[in-house]
Amino acid sequence: MLLSELKPGEYGIVKKIGGSGAIHRRLLSMGLLPGAIVRVVRISPLGDPIEYEIRGFFISLRKQEATNVEVDKIVPLSLVPGNSEVRVIFIDGGVGFVQNMGAMGIAVGKILKVIKPCCPMQVQTDRGIFTVGRGMAYRVFVR
Amino acid sequence: MIVALAGNPNTGKSTIFNALTGMKQHVGNWPGVTVEKKEGEMEINGTRVKVVDLPGTYSLTAYSLEEIITRNFIIEEKPDIIVDIIDASNLERNLYLLTELLELHSKIIVVLNMFDEAQKKYNIDVDLMSKILGLPVVPAVGIRGKGIDELKEKILRGKFNPKKVEYPEDVEKRIEKIEEKIKKLGLEPARWYAIKVIENDVEVVKKIKDKGARDILHLAEHLRHEIEDIYGDDIESVMTSFRYSFAHGLFHEVAEPINVGGVTITDMLDHVITHKIFGIPIFLAIMYLSFQFVFLVAAPFQDAIDLLFNGKDAAGGHIPGLVDLSYNWMLTFMPDWLSSFINHGMLRGLGAVLTFTPVIMLLFLILSFLEDSGYLARVAFLMDSVMKKMGLEGRGIIPLMLGFGCNVPAVMATRTLKDENERKLSIALNPLIPCGARIQVFAFLSSIFFPSNPALVLWSLLILSMVVVFFLGYIYSKTIFRGKSEPFVLELPPYRMPTMKGISIHMWEKSEGFLRKAGTIIVGAAAIIWIFAALPWGVEYGSPDSYIGMFAQWIAPIGTAFGLTPEAIISLIFGFFAKEVVIDVLYVLFGSKDAILASMTWAQAYSFMLFMLFYTPCVATLAAVYNETKSKKFTLFVILEGFFLAALFSFTFYTIFTLLGVGA
Repeated sequence: MLLSELKPGEYGIVKKIGGSGAIHRRLLSMGLLPGAIVRVVRISPLGDPIEYEIRGFFISLRKQEATNVEVDKIVPLSLVPGNSEVRVIFIDGGVGFVQNMGAMGIAVGKILKVIKPCCPMQVQTDRGIFTVGRGMAYRVFVR
Repeated sequence: MIVALAGNPNTGKSTIFNALTGMKQHVGNWPGVTVEKKEGEMEINGTRVKVVDLPGTYSLTAYSLEEIITRNFIIEEKPDIIVDIIDASNLERNLYLLTELLELHSKIIVVLNMFDEAQKKYNIDVDLMSKILGLPVVPAVGIRGKGIDELKEKILRGKFNPKKVEYPEDVEKRIEKIEEKIKKLGLEPARWYAIKVIENDVEVVKKIKDKGARDILHLAEHLRHEIEDIYGDDIESVMTSFRYSFAHGLFHEVAEPINVGGVTITDMLDHVITHKIFGIPIFLAIMYLSFQFVFLVAAPFQDAIDLLFNGKDAAGGHIPGLVDLSYNWMLTFMPDWLSSFINHGMLRGLGAVLTFTPVIMLLFLILSFLEDSGYLARVAFLMDSVMKKMGLEGRGIIPLMLGFGCNVPAVMATRTLKDENERKLSIALNPLIPCGARIQVFAFLSSIFFPSNPALVLWSLLILSMVVVFFLGYIYSKTIFRGKSEPFVLELPPYRMPTMKGISIHMWEKSEGFLRKAGTIIVGAAAIIWIFAALPWGVEYGSPDSYIGMFAQWIAPIGTAFGLTPEAIISLIFGFFAKEVVIDVLYVLFGSKDAILASMTWAQAYSFMLFMLFYTPCVATLAAVYNETKSKKFTLFVILEGFFLAALFSFTFYTIFTLLGVGA
């Protein structure tokens, strides 16, 4: 789907940056790159532009410009309701954090079952049942 | 020694610049473009250092003026040291620019500005960062002057052993192939050129083409396609991703997040300030209060300056001002006409410039506050979809609103717009917004001619000007000032409390430039007006017997088509000097309110106001227009545009009403 189609509060992971020339380059240099996580913050009162959070900062894009960005909709683990199965898409953190999560069986591509929703939440992985704190659950993105 | 400051916008770059150079700075433009260039000087232990503030940029592509200026400066002027000012609270994205700088220059000092704010978000290991990069890293809090001494020290004695941004093997291999050939061409830095030509950077490709090295271009194209095939995306995405992952990796290695999630103050403020329903009313209220503030504070200063120069008519007779005193004193040693020219012409002109000053400075104070606090970016976010229709980005609303105060700072405020055509469009529209001075005249005339409902008449003029500005903007943006439609990617920085020092420096920079440059133009114009109003020698100043009066009578037959009386024309000519003078002139010519009322029908009066709404901007505004565009042609265009609209509306109105036979 297109970035412009996400609603406020929703997350997406960038698949591809389209467009050409200035807009293409500008989006890339702001850090909108394949693999980056984007959150829709809010829409301007008049319907356009839209504010997004990316890499910890906030930018505003016109709808027209946001249509150049292809995304997959994802959800942070912390927002997943109980009793649902999800697949891990992305873990937002450094090597250490990724390793820690990996030790619990939370790694990109794995399936998790949420037993008790946030927070703290309990998830079942292929390595057993673990308790995941809010801070951690915020940085694991699933679909 | 030359030190260049680089960095993203909103990183406090100018604060660091001010802290380094103090008041020893010079603001100008980069050659050939209207992008601001700031230079300053400092001394470190007896070593003189020139500091150049490069434009704030997110990257160094060839797609925006600022970015091209920055990289060309580094390549061509070869500064000894680059200081990369980084907003430490937004580390990852700021590090991206560093990856680009690393490819251009080997002596870079990294300043982690706003370090105190950053420490609330994560623990940053400064030493580790310095070790990984092989560069001096200086934590700083610019607004409190922290870290400045260490930065100065590092400028003199820093050690540089920079790490290269490495690409994967299969990309590096290809960069090397090109690099060898670039070296033979003698272009430096060769690695940067090699990377850019592979990335198909338009400027670099052109440069190599000019050198006649088509073989390099062919090879680069070939290699580019290979890389695109390997990584399955376009070259720009691929290469930017590699640099970003360097920044990402470095960020995660040196910064350990303290807490994630949680609501920030900025988020809470934005919840209200950009609220679906309240956002726009809040904006309008802020603008309204700003104007109230400006006029409330400025009025006593203006009155005082006016009193100082022009004196006052009191019950006991005229209290002389500086102009009268100096005139009488000079009479003792020079002829009457010369003393009158110097004092009634030029000194009075200087007085007029000075009475402008409080309003201009205060409007700039407000503007600096809005800008430095981060609110301006929110205005852009709120108003963008309206302004887009006029061919402007959201921030374009600010100069238009300021215009209701005074067109002079408003025209200068168009600098906040990045696109050249948007700026021109905005400058061309601005004088059509009635400034405080014109509104004052309209209020006065409406109260005389339309005593039953003066407010309605005033509103009709304001609404008309807004409608005209909107439609003209729409038409201009589709025709003569067609923008390149630059992408509007706007950062919404966290709100920050501006420092008094910061905004005073901003305010002073802006006002001083105007006063120095426009001041001379205004004083000159005042002198010229004096010549036409006082000659032939012996006539009463500005009377129908003076040259201005004669001109007004000569042009009167044309004036009748618009319902303009000769006296009205004289007042308009004086109004060119400063619009509020129109009332004074009418008083001088007629003597009383009743006489003014008797001199025109109400249709004539309304037509007169329509004419005054649009005809040429005052001399100070024209000086600002010229100052900003450096184009006589454009300035002339603004004058003609005004006269055209004035003639169009007042003629149409007056003709219809005389045909209908009302108001005669």
